[in-house]
Amino acid sequence: MSLFWIVIRQLAEIQAMATSKKVITRADWEKKLNDVKVRKEDMNKLVMNFLVTEGYVEAAEKFRLESGTEPDIDLATITDRMAVKKAVQSGNVEDAIEKVNDLNPEILDTNPQLFFHLQQQRLIELIRNGKVEEALEFAQEELAPRGEENQGFLEELERTVALLAFEDVSNCPVGELLDISQRLKTASEVNAAILTSQSHEKDPKLPSLLKMLIWVQTQLDEKASYPRINDLSTAVLEDPAV
Amino acid sequence: MPTSATSNHPSRPEDLIGRLNSAHTPYEAKLKALRDLKNQIIGNRTKKLAFLKLGAVPSVVSILSSAAAAQGGGGDNREFYESVLIQSAAVIGSFACGLDAGVKAVLDAGAFPLLLSLISHLNEKVADAGARSLKLIYQSKRAPKYEFLQEKNMEFLLSLLNSKNENVTGLGANIITHSCQTTAEQQALSEAGVIKRLVGLLGGSINQKDASLESLAAMVKENPEVSAKFMGPENGRALNVVIELMKDKHPRTRLLACMCLISIRNTSTSYLQDSGIKNSLVSVLLELLDDPGPVGDEAPFVLSSLITEKEDMQKIAFNANLIEKLCEHLNAGSYQAKRLQGIFLLLGDLCSKLECCRDRVLDLQVLNFVTEALAHDSAEVRTAACNFLKNVSRSVKNLSAGQFMNEAVAVPLVRLLCDSSSSVQIAALGAISNIVVDFMAHKSVLVQCGGVKQLVQLSKSMESAIRVNAVWALRNLTFLVSYRCKEEILLELTSATLISLINDPEPSVQGQALALVRNLVDGTLNSINYVFGEDGAVLHAIARQLRSTSKVEVQIQGMYTLSNVASGNELHKEAVMNQLLPQAGNDAEKTLVKFLQSTDSRLCTATLWALINLTFPGSPGTCRRVTELRNAGIITQLKNMINDHCLDVKLRARMALGQLMIFGSVWTWYTSIKV
Repeated sequence: MSLFWIVIRQLAEIQAMATSKKVITRADWEKKLNDVKVRKEDMNKLVMNFLVTEGYVEAAEKFRLESGTEPDIDLATITDRMAVKKAVQSGNVEDAIEKVNDLNPEILDTNPQLFFHLQQQRLIELIRNGKVEEALEFAQEELAPRGEENQGFLEELERTVALLAFEDVSNCPVGELLDISQRLKTASEVNAAILTSQSHEKDPKLPSLLKMLIWVQTQLDEKASYPRINDLSTAVLEDPAV
Repeated sequence: MPTSATSNHPSRPEDLIGRLNSAHTPYEAKLKALRDLKNQIIGNRTKKLAFLKLGAVPSVVSILSSAAAAQGGGGDNREFYESVLIQSAAVIGSFACGLDAGVKAVLDAGAFPLLLSLISHLNEKVADAGARSLKLIYQSKRAPKYEFLQEKNMEFLLSLLNSKNENVTGLGANIITHSCQTTAEQQALSEAGVIKRLVGLLGGSINQKDASLESLAAMVKENPEVSAKFMGPENGRALNVVIELMKDKHPRTRLLACMCLISIRNTSTSYLQDSGIKNSLVSVLLELLDDPGPVGDEAPFVLSSLITEKEDMQKIAFNANLIEKLCEHLNAGSYQAKRLQGIFLLLGDLCSKLECCRDRVLDLQVLNFVTEALAHDSAEVRTAACNFLKNVSRSVKNLSAGQFMNEAVAVPLVRLLCDSSSSVQIAALGAISNIVVDFMAHKSVLVQCGGVKQLVQLSKSMESAIRVNAVWALRNLTFLVSYRCKEEILLELTSATLISLINDPEPSVQGQALALVRNLVDGTLNSINYVFGEDGAVLHAIARQLRSTSKVEVQIQGMYTLSNVASGNELHKEAVMNQLLPQAGNDAEKTLVKFLQSTDSRLCTATLWALINLTFPGSPGTCRRVTELRNAGIITQLKNMINDHCLDVKLRARMALGQLMIFGSVWTWYTSIKV
């Protein structure tokens, strides 16, 4: 029985629970779980939706062949989007910008916040590579106008430029900007913008389901004592604390 | 700053343009230059403006034009020319994106027909590029007006809406949103079956939904017939679909759904009036106010269209704690001009009629933010802040408590009287007009900060709207004001200006000017003496205006003024009498009689007051005046009025008649016993 299957059934069962607080033994619980029906087709769609939204092209292709599930996006468009995401994740921001503009020139023209973050990332990469002079020039030529056009960006701009003021950049107050996580954040933002422009949901459905499970368990905690899933990654049912 | 010579460094703008224009540049290099230009300007307003100045647009359009011509010849280079078409169309689209100057340049360079020809291209990417750019042009007010009423144009539009290509249908919808303005156009579009198609798009992708909602709002706006058709059976449950879209995931879709519903609601008062939908609209829009992006900037304006002039909606918004939310935003320090304008617009709407709103607003110390707003860079923010002040100062309770007549409010307002924008001036005048009715007479604050000087200056403006509002403000300022204050005002104003205002070409200005004089002469004898000075020129002017005007508002104010003067001493009463019943008797209809015969109760009442004051017992010349009036046939006239349906007229007529009769009988008695 896959972990996924267990999680889904847990969720369905809790949602159908009675209202008074009571203790449910593991045996009873598992019995109830077994009675819950979940369709395989729905599960496959959820998996496909996750793979496609996150951009795992090859996995999606393979899954399609093996399960017969049709993706709701043309897999060809995923390739373009993944190229952009990869470029940002590797720090090739200029390349990423060109690719986005080839894909859809409207995206960066109508998303000032995203555009600013991409240029901010460019500056970060220049600083990371020790190209201080170029970084200063870039900040003046490209980023300062963004701050002028939109005052909301000034604070972030100042934080980024502050990187230049420190000798040991990795240990300074704004050092987290140099982290890989910053690249991933920007990459994720670009990914979402491209998906939206292609009129697709930018978030996969799976996280919503898991959030729902956690919330529903919290609600049920007030009314009953029952075997919970505490670790989503293992989906193990843990006995209630007696 | 020295430039570093790395290969990734963007080319200087002048070089780039040079390469595009030069006949010597090989075509492949031109394609690269185009792409380079595109990547430099997308998202970058500053660069767009810089390149516009260098004449980039005509250069690119000419490349587009030659590529379009060349690829018609077919051949091996087809793919290459298509790339050129795509890149140049994208550049043109980017220049037009959100930049009015760019749209102008693009249209001036003749890009429009070229882009149109691209839409039907076989290569989907070329069609996309053309459609996108046209769509961006049509999001600007400067786009050329689309003539729906021509059959060919309607067919073309329908073909756009029926396309499978999302960008092309989006273009069709944008054209409607931009150009559909008259009832005839709305009708024509409706008859061509456009509504059905748009309703179909409501079930499409995010972009299609949004574009369709905007178009539908434009089509039903102020058109009850098209509105009814939209909600008719042949469009299925279209209205329900739109109502559902109020709960859509995407904020912009929710906003546009609200806008569409409000458009219908404001057009036909028989739809969408139940409390469920009213509450939903308010709560959805309230939540959208929190959006940090452009949706949050636009939401206040949409909400305003829902509640403006509608007391019931304002009440609902008040109960939903809209005021608290707006205060939160003010406290958080919204610097963006558009948002600030929206906040004050809403506060103004809420305070326009409801006292509870005004109380709450003042309790929450909103006035603390007004001072800054009045000095904001944006004229729209300044105007919105003034209009808000005008509305909130309608609260008599707070006005008389002196809430507004303080330096924090009065001083910046007076400064706005010489604002560069006349709409700001007018809005400031509106606010000042209300604020100076301060019953505690703290009006010296205004005088001290040079307010009177400014108002008098503006009363001589060339724009009648400014003149009228300036005189109105002066009129309110002189209401129940101290004698000393009147002196100061009249000194600044001068009789000459006063007379020219009474004789102003605009009746609205005449009315306000007369009301001003009325306030000035109200009070003690000194006031009357002061206004009329030695020669009584002002009195002449008033009487002359009374004789010549046909506007009842002016007549009423004039009459009340004369009535106030007639409450003075013997000299004053005689002066008024001479004006109303001139000895010379050349006038076919004496003013007094004419006004008493008016069908407007207010004018009758004013005239009766003048009569009452003229015949008030105790003054030496009263007897003589009574006789003159009797000879003019006033008694008969008054007898007709003692049972008038208007209470004021009835009671004053009886009072006047009583006074005339008393004197009449006393006089007769006196003469009869005289030996």
